[in-house]
Amino acid sequence: MNKIIQAKDITQIYRKNGAVTVKALQDVSVDIEKGEFAAIMGASGSGKSTLMNILGCLARPTGGEYFLDGENVNQLSDDDLAKIRNRKIGFVFQLFHLLPRTDSLENVELPLLYSDRSDITKLAQKALEVVGLADRIHHYPAELSGGQQQRVAIARALVNNPEIILADEPTGNLDSRAGLEVISVFQQLHAEGKTVILVTHSREIAEHANRIILIKDGRITGDERAQNPLNARDELESLPEETEVAQ
Amino acid sequence: MKILRLTTNVFKGLGKNKMRSFLMMVGVIIGIATLIVILSITQGANKKIMARINNFGPNAIMVHSGGGKMRGQIRGPSTVSMANLARKDLQNISSIEGVKIVSPFQLKMDMPIKYQSQFTTTTVMGVMPNWADAWKRGASKGDFIQTEDVELLKKVCVIGQTVKKELFPDSNPIGAELLIGKVKFRVQGILQKRGASPAGTDFDNLVIIPFSTASRRLMNQPKYIAMIRVIVDDPSHLKIISQQISQILRRNHHLASQEEDDFKLTSSTQIVKMIKSVSGTLHIFLLLIAGLSLLVGGIVIMNIMLISVSERKHEIGLRKAVGARSKDILLQFILESLVITLTGGILGFIVGILGVKIMEWVTNMPAVVSWEALALAFGFSFIVGIIFGVQPARKASRLDPVEALR
Repeated sequence: MNKIIQAKDITQIYRKNGAVTVKALQDVSVDIEKGEFAAIMGASGSGKSTLMNILGCLARPTGGEYFLDGENVNQLSDDDLAKIRNRKIGFVFQLFHLLPRTDSLENVELPLLYSDRSDITKLAQKALEVVGLADRIHHYPAELSGGQQQRVAIARALVNNPEIILADEPTGNLDSRAGLEVISVFQQLHAEGKTVILVTHSREIAEHANRIILIKDGRITGDERAQNPLNARDELESLPEETEVAQ
Repeated sequence: MKILRLTTNVFKGLGKNKMRSFLMMVGVIIGIATLIVILSITQGANKKIMARINNFGPNAIMVHSGGGKMRGQIRGPSTVSMANLARKDLQNISSIEGVKIVSPFQLKMDMPIKYQSQFTTTTVMGVMPNWADAWKRGASKGDFIQTEDVELLKKVCVIGQTVKKELFPDSNPIGAELLIGKVKFRVQGILQKRGASPAGTDFDNLVIIPFSTASRRLMNQPKYIAMIRVIVDDPSHLKIISQQISQILRRNHHLASQEEDDFKLTSSTQIVKMIKSVSGTLHIFLLLIAGLSLLVGGIVIMNIMLISVSERKHEIGLRKAVGARSKDILLQFILESLVITLTGGILGFIVGILGVKIMEWVTNMPAVVSWEALALAFGFSFIVGIIFGVQPARKASRLDPVEALR
C-alpha cells in the first residue's frame, strides 16, 4: 500500500501570553493512503482544523513527525513547504477565498503563478471544465452562486494536478443542494483516483467519505471505514425539483 | 517568466482598484511635477545666465558713469546725462597692463527715430570703430562705423535688427535716411543679431552712430563719456584690472577716501553672483516643496499599503496556501509600490511638462526640459517606491498563512 500521509504522534501546543498553553492536538497518529476519500470529523474546537493545517503544510507541529509522500516535512524550509503546497496539495476553504474583482479563470490560474508551468490559461480552463463551470470562465465571484463559487475554488485546488485535495468545511456556507453538488465533485475526483481529505463537523457530510476519522479534544477517538458511503449524485436526483437560487 | 507573470498580476490587481491606486499616486505626481518644473526653470535660467554672460563677454569690464548701488540687480547702462568719465580716464585705463581694448561710448535710451511714416523709440549709442571688436559684433550687411566717420562727425548710422523690422519692414534700409530726434542720419549698415543685452533688454533695438557725432550733434555732451567697455587679455585678470581701474578713476576724480565711487564697474563674475542671489533662494524653496511632496506622497503610499495589507489578509493567506513563498509576497507588494510610484512619476513628469509650458507661456520665462529631469523623475519615483514599499511588503510577507486565512 502507498501511504501518502503518515503522521506520527503529532502534537500542537499553542502558547498564549507565555504561561497559558492550549493543547490543540495530542499524539495524533494517522495514515492515509493514496486514492482514499477520508473525512476528519469533529466538533468545533476539537482540533480538526489544526490537524488539517498541519497535513496541508500550512503549519508545523510542535511535536511528532509528519511524512508527506515519503518526505519528512519537519525538516523542510518554509520555501520548500510553499513548494509542496503548490505542487502536492489543493486547498478548499469554507469561505471559498476567491479574489474579488477577479474572474473565475484568473482565480483558478492563481496557483500556477507560483509554479513553473507555462500553459496557465489552458490548464485553468480545463480545471473549470472538470467542475462543470466551462461557461462561467469570465464571471466574477459576485456574479456566481455560493455553490458555483466553491466549485471555482475546487477548480483552483485541482489546477496544479495535486496528489491531495484538502477541504476544510467546504459545505459550511452552502445550502444542502449546493453542498451536495460540491460533495459530488469530490466523489467524482475520488473516483478518478485523487486523495481527498474532508474536514467537517457534520456526520451527514462525513458519511459521503469512505473513511471517517473522529477527533475530539485533540485526540483521535475513532476510525471508521464505510463500505457503502452515501452517493451525493443519487441524493441530488432524489431532491425535489428546485429553481436555482442566488443567481 | 515567473516575475513577468507576477508583474502582470500586479498591474491587473492595481487596475481593479483604480481609485485607491490613483490616490496613492497623487503625492508622487505632485512631487515629481514640482521637481520637473523647478529643474526646467533652473536650467532655463542657467541657460539665460550663460547667454547673458556670453553677450556681456566673459573678459569684459564695463565702466559706468555715476556711482550708487543697485543691490540685487544687474546695473543698466549709464546714459549721457550722467556722463562723468573723462578722456584722461580713458587714456589711463588704456595703459594698464593686460587691457586689450578700451572702447568708450555715449548712450541715450528711448530716442525717437523715424523713417517716412514709420517711427519707434530705440537706444542710440555713439561708438568708436573698435566697438565691433569690443562686443565681437559688426555689421552683417553694409558697413560698420569707420574711423573716418568719427573724424568727420559723419551723420551715418548702423541699425539693429529690431529697428530694421520696425522701420523697414519690407524695404532695404541701406542708403535710406532716417531721423534720430531731429537729425537726419544715413543708414550704412545693419548690425549682427545679438538677442539680450547684459541688462536683459533687447540688444537688437539699437542704433549706432559715430562717437563724435553723438557727443556733439545729438546728445550735446562734448566733454564726458557715458561708458567705457574694457576688454582684458584673460578673464582671470578681471579682478586685479578692475581694482586698478577703480584706483585710477578715484585718483582722477579727486575722491577723498571716505567718499563713495562716482562710477561703477561690472564684470561677468558680478553678473553671475547677482542673478544667482535672486534665483537661488527661490529654487531652494521650491526644491524643498518638491522634496516634501515626495516625502508626504511616500508616507501616503506606505499608509495605504499598510492598511491594504490588513484588508487583504485573506488574499495573502490564500496566495501562501497555494504556493507563494514569503519572498513572492514581498516581491508582489514591492512591485505594487513600484508600479504606483513609477506610474506616478511618469504622470508627474507629464504634468510637470504641461506646467512648464504653461509657465513659459504666462511668464515668458525660458525653461529647458532635459533628459536629466526625466531620469531624475524616474530615479526619485523608484527610490520612493522602494523606501515606502518595503515596510508594508515585509509585513505582508511575514503573515502566517493560518492566521491570515482565519
